[in-house]
Amino acid sequence: MSDHTSKQFDAEMEAIRSGVLSMGGLVERQMARAIAALEEDEDAKLIDAVAADERAINQLQIAIDQQCAQIIARRQPTAVDLRIVLTVTKVVNDLERIGDEIKKVAYKAAGVRGSDRLTRIRYYDVVRMAGGAQQMLRKALDAFARLDVNEAADVVADDDDIDVAFNAVMRQLISFMMEDPRTISASLEVVFIAKAIERIGDHAKNISESVVQVVKGKDVRHATAEQIRAEVAGE
Amino acid sequence: MSYVAQTPEQIRGLIAKAKRRDVLFVALGVIALGIGFATFLALFLDMLLDGWGRLRPEFFTQFPSRRAAQAGILSAWVGTFLVMIVTAAVAVPLGVSAGIYLEEYAPKNWVTDVIEINITNLAGVPSIVYGLLALGLFVYAFGLGQSVQTAGLTLALLILPVVIVATREAIRAIPAMIREGAYAVGATRWQTVKDHIIPYSMPGILTGVIIGMSRAIGETAPIITIGALTFIAFLPPAPVGAEFPFLSFEWLKAPFTVMPIQMFNWTSRPDPAFHANAAAAGTILVFMTLAMNGLAIWLRYRLRKNIKW
Amino acid sequence: MLGSARPGAAGLTPDASPPPPLKAESRDLSFHYGNGFKALNAITMPVHEHRVTALIGPSGCGKSTFLRCFNRMHDLYPGNRYEGAIVLHPDNTNLLADDVDPIEVRMRVSMVFQKPNPFPKSIYENVAYGLRVRGVTNKNHLDDKVEESLRGAALWDEVKQRLNEVGSNLSGGQQQRLCIARALATDPEILLFDEPTSALDPIATASIEELISELKKRVTILIVTHNMQQAARVSDYTAYMYLGELIEFDRTDTIFFKPGRKETEDYITGRFG
Repeated sequence: MSDHTSKQFDAEMEAIRSGVLSMGGLVERQMARAIAALEEDEDAKLIDAVAADERAINQLQIAIDQQCAQIIARRQPTAVDLRIVLTVTKVVNDLERIGDEIKKVAYKAAGVRGSDRLTRIRYYDVVRMAGGAQQMLRKALDAFARLDVNEAADVVADDDDIDVAFNAVMRQLISFMMEDPRTISASLEVVFIAKAIERIGDHAKNISESVVQVVKGKDVRHATAEQIRAEVAGE
Repeated sequence: MSYVAQTPEQIRGLIAKAKRRDVLFVALGVIALGIGFATFLALFLDMLLDGWGRLRPEFFTQFPSRRAAQAGILSAWVGTFLVMIVTAAVAVPLGVSAGIYLEEYAPKNWVTDVIEINITNLAGVPSIVYGLLALGLFVYAFGLGQSVQTAGLTLALLILPVVIVATREAIRAIPAMIREGAYAVGATRWQTVKDHIIPYSMPGILTGVIIGMSRAIGETAPIITIGALTFIAFLPPAPVGAEFPFLSFEWLKAPFTVMPIQMFNWTSRPDPAFHANAAAAGTILVFMTLAMNGLAIWLRYRLRKNIKW
Repeated sequence: MLGSARPGAAGLTPDASPPPPLKAESRDLSFHYGNGFKALNAITMPVHEHRVTALIGPSGCGKSTFLRCFNRMHDLYPGNRYEGAIVLHPDNTNLLADDVDPIEVRMRVSMVFQKPNPFPKSIYENVAYGLRVRGVTNKNHLDDKVEESLRGAALWDEVKQRLNEVGSNLSGGQQQRLCIARALATDPEILLFDEPTSALDPIATASIEELISELKKRVTILIVTHNMQQAARVSDYTAYMYLGELIEFDRTDTIFFKPGRKETEDYITGRFG
């Protein structure tokens, strides 16, 4: 995109954009730590780090939102600038929610630890699901950084996989719980973790849809993956 | 029920009616213009035809004579030229200074208002009144004699209001923001006047001066009143001499005649041959006036080209 | 790029740094026109150094009148009367004092007008005029200063080949930048802008606004604008005036996001009147 006459305006737009990216970086780091917490044994430090990340993410959300409000109040952005600013406020919101979900995952992981083997086996699928969500998140942020609609469309398609995986985990957990009621409390913890991961996927999808909105100027929030692909392919 | 024409037919009818009025007014305007122009053309052509036989080079180089065929306008045009020099030399500095003072310096109170009204009214005073004033003041009180200088001063007085008004109009045409722009960088009042007001109003002032002069050149009444001679067979002393101090202002004190008086003199003679002389002199006078007006237009165009705001 | 150390974190947090030093302040300034109309009523307002302060408000609120007090433009017309003071720092000169010559004030506080008003002289002479008035005659000094000022006004590259052409042949935006160069040439301490873009098209307006943001590095700026958005874009501080009163003065961020007074909010949100 070419520059504005006002260099200050350029600087402000760049600040919110890079603000989102650094916020995304924090969320990714937090996600990696949460996955480590899922996989590894007791590590209180990891949990603390995840919680600290979440606080930093909240701070950034407030700062970027303020910056967006200032841009709207002082610059009256139009067209692509307006779409970017509106999108940034949405993306920032999604990232903050992802941070919350990740924190949930990390805390629940501690609760699952030490329960019986059967649950722990099912737990492996959840970790794989988390890996998928992590992938989606990275691709969504990548799509935002490069305003790449094709990658954004991929993320939307990936979300269907996460949903399928979530349903599979649920079915398996339900059958465990029916076979052996003693696993119920541990299984419920796993349900919460899986649900949180599924939500992370949803938010990553929202971010991708926002990218499509910036570039194409079209609201694709309730479209199917195929519709979005068609939209992205058509000029 | 609507008061406004609605259908396309009604609208077309209205337009046709309005256009007929347009045509009617244009026709009236052309007729009015035609009357004025035709009258001038008729008078001028009549004069030109009457005087054509006399419009020869010798006409400019001969003194008036008792014989119509040998009479020329040498003393008249030289007299007119010298009187105009005096008039300009007096009226321009006085009028421009007064105009600048009134616009830029004078406090805006009732005294200036009275002066302003008076100046405007002076422009409408009949020229013979100026002649009488000059006779009493310049000729008798100051003893300047019935000379070139008296005539120049008289005509200067006559066109002074024109020059002042033209100067003020020209200054007023300078937008306030140009003046403010000069003050805003720290210029004093005199710097503003010298660097901006005078240069920018110069085209307007010059135009006013020339228009005033072209009025003065044809004035007869005040010149007769102060006693210009009607028959002069000599020239005033030359302003440049061969001996020290080379410059001489004796010509200022010389008796003189001017073009309109020469004409007046010739028309009052019974011999129709002199009437042809008068017509020829009149033609030349008309051309002189037209030339001065043309010069004014050209100067205004030239000087204003670079002054825009 | 992703996951890198967070860039521009400082740019994201609202600027809570202490306000810069004062360049000037008006103290209880009231102003009466010659016809007896009281246009300003006891205005007390700071002007921060190297910042842009915008004056906004509806037509007739006195914002231009206030601005023109800063270089005593009102002295050009008889009968006008000031009360109170405008103190210029750091030497604490009261610009409105009787013993301070308005010429001196105008040499320290320059002004750019609503409509571009270049003199009908060459581009060079337009810029050099303020220096000539100050008695500068050295051709080299004049040349240097003219170039410096034209560069400062972002006009040099466009006119360096035709410095001897008449200034009024330039486009509207260029003329206004020429007027800015003329005002800059004398190194003023404060530069006043009286609705500088109201006669310009949007592109020229944007370039003048950008220029104003650049200029604040070297001079303190006070700008009157009838365009609120312009005030929001270019200024660091904003004053809202109404009927000759200063209703609110604050950081521009604050004025346009959460003004302290309901009157200000009504005006900037378009609920006025």
